Amino acid sequence: MDSPIQTDFIRWIVFLPLLGAIINGLLGAKIQKSIGKGAIGLIACTPVVVAFGLSLYAFFMLTGLEPERRFLIDNLYRWIDLGSLKVDMAFLVDPLSAVMILIVTGIGGLIHIYATGYMHDDNAFWRFFAYLNLFTAAMLTLVLGDSLLLLFVGWEGVGLCSYALIGFWYTDHANARAGNKAFIVNRVGDFGFVLGMFLLFWSLDAQGHGSLTIRDMVKFAPAIKEMMIWGMPVVTLATLFLFIGATGKSAQIPLFVWLPDAMAGPTPVSALIHAATMVTAGVYMTARMNVFFSMAPDTLNVIAVIGVATALVAATIALTQYDIKKVLAYSTVSQLGYMFIGVGVGGYAAAVFHLMTHAFFKACLFLGAGSVIHAMHHEQDMRKMGGLRQYMPVTFMTFFVSVLAIAGFPPFAGFFSKDEILWLAASSQHWGIWVFAICGAGLTAFYMFRQLFMTFYGRFRGDHHLQEHLHESPQAMSMPLVVLAIGAVLAGFIGLPAVLGGSQFAHWLEPVIHGHEEGHGSHALEWGLMALSVGVASLGAFIAYLMYRRESLSPAIFANLAGGLFYRLFDRKWYVDEIYQFLFVNGTLLLAKVLSAFDTYVIDGIVNGAASVTRFVSWLNGLFDNYIIDGIVNAVANFTFWAGNKFRRVQTGNINSYLYGILIAVAALIIVKIRYWG
Amino acid sequence: MENLLTYMTFIPLAGAAIVLVLPNNAKLIRWVSAAATVPPLLMAIWLFGNFDRNQAGFQFVEKYEWIPAFNISYYMGVDGLSISMVLLTALLCFLCIFASFGIDKAVKGYFALFLMLDAGMMGVFCALDFFLFFIFWEVMLLPMYFLIGIWGGPRREYAAIKFFLYTFFGSAFMLISILALYFSTEPHTFDMTVMMAQASKFGTEVLPIWPFNQLGWGFQHAVWMALFIGFAIKIPAFPFHTWLPDAHVEAPTAVSVILAGVLLKMGTYGILRINFPMLPEATADLTFWCLGALGVWNIIYGALCAMAQTDLKKLVAYSSVSHMGYVMLGMASFTTQGINGAVLQMFNHGTITGMLFLLVGVIYDRAHHREIDGFGGLAAIMPVYTGVTALAFFASMGLPGLSGFISEILVLLGTWQKYPILTILGASGVILTAGYLLWTIQRVYLGPPNEKYLKLPEISGREMFTLVPLGAIVIIVGVYPNVVLALLRASLDQLNQIVIPHL
Amino acid sequence: MSLRNLASLSFFYPELILTGTIILLIVLDLVVRAKRSLALIALAGSVAALIATFDLYSAQPGFLFYRMIVLDNFSLFFKIFALAATILCIWMSLGSSEIKQVYQGEYYALLLTSTLGMFFMASSSNLLMAYLSLELVSLTSYVLTGFLPRNRRSTEAALKYLIYGGVASGTMIYGMSWIFGMTGNLDYAAIQTALGQAEINTTALFIAFMFILVGFGYKIVFVPFHMWSPDVYQGAPTPFTAFLSVASNAAGIAIMIRFFFPGVSRVVPGGEWLFISGVEWPHVLLLLSMITMTVGNLCALNQRNLKRMLAYSGIAHAGYMLMGLAVLNNEGLSAILFYVVVYLFMNLGAFVVVGMIANITGGEDIEDYRGLAWRGAVIPAACLAVFLLSLTGLPPFAGFIAKFFLFAAVFKEGGPFVILVLVAVLNSVVSLYYYAKIIRTMFLDAPNPEDKAVAVGAGDFNLTLLVPLTVLTVVFGVYFGPLLKYTNQSLTFFVK
Repeated sequence: MDSPIQTDFIRWIVFLPLLGAIINGLLGAKIQKSIGKGAIGLIACTPVVVAFGLSLYAFFMLTGLEPERRFLIDNLYRWIDLGSLKVDMAFLVDPLSAVMILIVTGIGGLIHIYATGYMHDDNAFWRFFAYLNLFTAAMLTLVLGDSLLLLFVGWEGVGLCSYALIGFWYTDHANARAGNKAFIVNRVGDFGFVLGMFLLFWSLDAQGHGSLTIRDMVKFAPAIKEMMIWGMPVVTLATLFLFIGATGKSAQIPLFVWLPDAMAGPTPVSALIHAATMVTAGVYMTARMNVFFSMAPDTLNVIAVIGVATALVAATIALTQYDIKKVLAYSTVSQLGYMFIGVGVGGYAAAVFHLMTHAFFKACLFLGAGSVIHAMHHEQDMRKMGGLRQYMPVTFMTFFVSVLAIAGFPPFAGFFSKDEILWLAASSQHWGIWVFAICGAGLTAFYMFRQLFMTFYGRFRGDHHLQEHLHESPQAMSMPLVVLAIGAVLAGFIGLPAVLGGSQFAHWLEPVIHGHEEGHGSHALEWGLMALSVGVASLGAFIAYLMYRRESLSPAIFANLAGGLFYRLFDRKWYVDEIYQFLFVNGTLLLAKVLSAFDTYVIDGIVNGAASVTRFVSWLNGLFDNYIIDGIVNAVANFTFWAGNKFRRVQTGNINSYLYGILIAVAALIIVKIRYWG
Repeated sequence: MENLLTYMTFIPLAGAAIVLVLPNNAKLIRWVSAAATVPPLLMAIWLFGNFDRNQAGFQFVEKYEWIPAFNISYYMGVDGLSISMVLLTALLCFLCIFASFGIDKAVKGYFALFLMLDAGMMGVFCALDFFLFFIFWEVMLLPMYFLIGIWGGPRREYAAIKFFLYTFFGSAFMLISILALYFSTEPHTFDMTVMMAQASKFGTEVLPIWPFNQLGWGFQHAVWMALFIGFAIKIPAFPFHTWLPDAHVEAPTAVSVILAGVLLKMGTYGILRINFPMLPEATADLTFWCLGALGVWNIIYGALCAMAQTDLKKLVAYSSVSHMGYVMLGMASFTTQGINGAVLQMFNHGTITGMLFLLVGVIYDRAHHREIDGFGGLAAIMPVYTGVTALAFFASMGLPGLSGFISEILVLLGTWQKYPILTILGASGVILTAGYLLWTIQRVYLGPPNEKYLKLPEISGREMFTLVPLGAIVIIVGVYPNVVLALLRASLDQLNQIVIPHL
Repeated sequence: MSLRNLASLSFFYPELILTGTIILLIVLDLVVRAKRSLALIALAGSVAALIATFDLYSAQPGFLFYRMIVLDNFSLFFKIFALAATILCIWMSLGSSEIKQVYQGEYYALLLTSTLGMFFMASSSNLLMAYLSLELVSLTSYVLTGFLPRNRRSTEAALKYLIYGGVASGTMIYGMSWIFGMTGNLDYAAIQTALGQAEINTTALFIAFMFILVGFGYKIVFVPFHMWSPDVYQGAPTPFTAFLSVASNAAGIAIMIRFFFPGVSRVVPGGEWLFISGVEWPHVLLLLSMITMTVGNLCALNQRNLKRMLAYSGIAHAGYMLMGLAVLNNEGLSAILFYVVVYLFMNLGAFVVVGMIANITGGEDIEDYRGLAWRGAVIPAACLAVFLLSLTGLPPFAGFIAKFFLFAAVFKEGGPFVILVLVAVLNSVVSLYYYAKIIRTMFLDAPNPEDKAVAVGAGDFNLTLLVPLTVLTVVFGVYFGPLLKYTNQSLTFFVK
């Protein structure tokens, strides 16, 4: 890995979508008016598709090389060069980023195509695709960035785009607010991310290896193993900082609150950004920096706990949702939790594997939901749906497959990836984690099937007007669904469990993710656990069947557990939003108000006060001047007159008084002369 | 090119003189003044092209005897520190003339004063003789006073006199320190380069009188503090900042741009140009509190105050307070990243805040008010305008790919090595900034269009002309920061090397 | 050299010319109808005297009239200064409507008389001479102050001035008598030698100095001997106020320097002066200068009448100048000379504008200046702005340079003088407020609807004075080398 192979085509993987964004962004309005939406779609989709081609090309270049040389770099120029801080504008393709760019450009491309159908009636068609392309470019920068700083550029870039896309229909304040929430919460994460970056840079610098180029950082990572800061190992603190960033992007506790609101955006956005790509950035970053994380076991434990907690909390919330997209949103949060469990137990490859499979089935689910929403004229409440199976078979089939996948039924993709994570948790003796994770799996199966049944089975619960217009979505939308569904079925086979021959996928990532946990334990145990998880999933699915298909079992039973306490807790999303609103938002605003009042009345008050005091003193001074001192003077004057008279009469040889007499006489004479003899 | 800097400084002044004798024809006056700002701009570009990036010392130096009796000379020159400011000044003045075409009251006076201001600012950044520096420094005050006071808003008189008195108060201390330094050099001189060379002559043993003996301050510290007060008022650093919101709110758009874009920089410029090299030991001792801690406080305090504002222009003004905090913080770090970041931030803040004020002006000219809650949904009414605004806002937010990001990240990165805690606090400012800017975007530009303003005309060509160059710079510097960094590096590293031994 | 009466006359012709002019004026006043011509004669006389005075630079310095009067660069400087002030004042009077109502014959005669007095003040090397010259100036000033017929304020001012001056100069001569008693001499040189060798009571000497200081103080107008000035400035005809504010103040400075420096102090190589140990008059001056500038500025802050405000600002400036005396070094003195010259231009200029506006609006209150720039008088307004900013001490105007040299000279001494400079600088900040207040009224405020336009034609006579003064104020702000050189040269005293 010391000498990556120089190439000069990788840049285009990033630049083409960027170009599309620029063209659509600057000229889109005119093009749309003059040529039409088709042109816009073409300008938007072509770059992504071509980028996908290039990604494939890069991928096969890698496969052509022996594993330890699988690094392609495209170095444009020296971006920043200050002291030991030397950052290149360079893009790196290695096995890990290769997988990612395939996901981003591949699934991204499909979603682009899907969107041409979904967004067709929107007037801001061009704007949507400009954003979407920009997002793709940013995401690819994030993935291909050779340095942590460039990665961060993409990191913030995707945040910006998600802000723009969530608030795409900005004339509704709710959407705009959701966008703000996403951006600011992500900023909190970014805050942690940069601090981690600084800490790592300076620690390495102290060892003489200061750099932000990830390859070098990884290479010299051992140098900072022993370093301490504030009584803890540097790596621990640094990785914790980085993980804060990850919680922001990947919607983990405590920063997961933005993702459900992000569903305010158009469905393709939810599919691409808030399911398949952006939200996985955190996982990707931890995988990239895995060497450092592996050096910090404490951090890993934190991650594992956070991951499982998120998986469970999100799952519980998903149980009670009726908005078709909200359910998927929380399931995404939950699935991301699983990925972090994988990271937490050291199974980076497993995490990335689940990331990939999840990208397929979750994108498929979202697009399916989008297709439903499209048919339902933007009605998202599942209670108004039902029996859609016969109206939109393609959507149903693909959705069904994906549900099986996410619920973790073999041989669908989700089974292999999730099971590997569970197996690693177990085999690394994280039994507590494992127990909760398996429960989460059960819940997942339940709420996914609940959604499936409520949406596609039973009889239609919407009004007739809607019913007449129910229809399968156009080619542009159904075709991507099919492709994704196929992915959801097959993607799993590249990561078979050890008992079935071991994971090709993990092997592929070897050059990047060293010391990958294969999991140690008897095959019997592995089989057993596998069976158990499938069993739990089936149980969840079965309960859902009873409740929402057969309706022989009333949800109320569960809803009223413990006096409905749990139900309310889940339904209100554990009151997290309320708490945050109260603590942080209102707190900050209050502080702002107080400070600005302080500024106006105290600080500025002092300034003006100083001025007024001076003026007041001067006023006093004036009075003093005019009355007291002047008074004395007049007194003296009077005395002088008096004395003068005295002296004129009494001849004291006092030259002084003589002069006075003379002076006064002369001057008085002249004045009198001028006044009256004129 | 001989005497380049002199031409850059005095051509606008000549322009002012010409404007004064022109007939009272607004159109003519406008274009003549515009013409007067073109040569400096071209020269600035030439300067940018021919500036030797690897040389730390002063270039394009001009030196002439002025008052031999006091060793005062007319001494001009630029180094990496000042050239960025010179470029900024030349550009902003050129653009602001066009931004001022809307002025119709006493046009002649306005443009004449504006050009005088231009000359004064150029002079400050080029002067290498302390006496000359002070004269230019003061010369800026008058035009600014009149520009705010005559062409300003309703409370213009209060704002103008406040600005005038406040700054003059600062210069009073500066004058004292100038004399102190003058009499400490041997032979007595106002030549800054000599003062820097003789920095060791400025004593640091504790002065025996209160309060210095309590503080353990020597001559250097006393002078440092006196100068600092003068400069802190310009930056403006808490608690000397309250003139800024008033001045900004009242000043006409173009003047606000100059005020925020150039004048504020003079504070930090002065500290870097004078305090750092001439009083290194005091700098080493006092920087943590006066620049580091205070800078962080500026960042957070400014951001929170901005969040509470209801007047768009006031919000931008406070955001300046916040952003100048990064400059102070970076200066305090004494790492090459930090100090370069700081000066780059000075440059970026000039362009970004310049844009912001121009944009506020655009909407004010149309709606005749600046109440943040008084708009709403402008994005639907003025999409292009909104697009440009978004660019400026995101740049100000420090979004990657735009110039603000580079400088802020460099400042924070550089500071971490010395003061991790300060860095953490300072970085939290990034969140607050995002908070108030996004909130503002939402209230002004998003949401349902305000039917009161459905008829607002889209941003005009002239306005775009003033904005596009700045926007371009914002993006270019963000993508290829070396454009500016290369200019600064040599000089600033040298500056660091002067102080670091005393840390 | 030391000459007796007749021989002295050959170095005395400037004074003779003045005297001749004065007599001529009085005589012609009886016959000539066109009073304006008298002004021109006065002008001619002073110009002639000016030329003559310049001519005296070729003469070798020395004592005249039995050591009564000394002829040296220092005295020449102040003579020229006095004449310059006189010429400007006459010029100003020509354009003033106030003067048209008075007896111009006496007016100009008295004016020149007081100039003559200043000549003696600048050159007296003998206590008696000093006293007489001072009184000569004072007397004429009293009269000219009360010169406006049927103007109560003017008369009242004159009377106040008279009484105050009487007391002051009385006190002064009382102090002089003490010195005479102690040394048996009136001649400065003799006094110095006497004080040098004889065993003298320093306390008594100190008291004597303080008495004398009263006399000087009231001429230079520093606290607490300033009471008369606001009323007098306000009451007196504007051209004469201008004259008073610069010339008599300068003459006071001259006589004071003459007495306290070559008179009773010894100069050591390097331009430092040593005062008689035990007689700490410089400390008193240090204190007085602080008080003076502060009181002056504070009082000026809320004045409604412009002339009155300028009176207080004049007090403040006297305070600044005192600093230069207090530091006891030649830089200080030459800075004072420089300051005096600059002060002549800027302060006189300010009064010129006041006169102009009074001619037209008849008002001297700041309120009358509201929106002046927008009422057709933009040129006078701009000029006044320049003068006021120069008085504040803002670059690029001469006032800044003057202050700068002064502060530099004081700062050089270090120690308590640093505090003094700090006080002075902060005072300048305060002063900015009231100077700027006028500028604000003229430029920032919109005129009241009832205010009538102030038409200042390009042909306005006062512009012939105003514009050059403005130009000088600016020019000396950036190019002042020659003036500096001149003031330095003027600092040579003839002692032995």
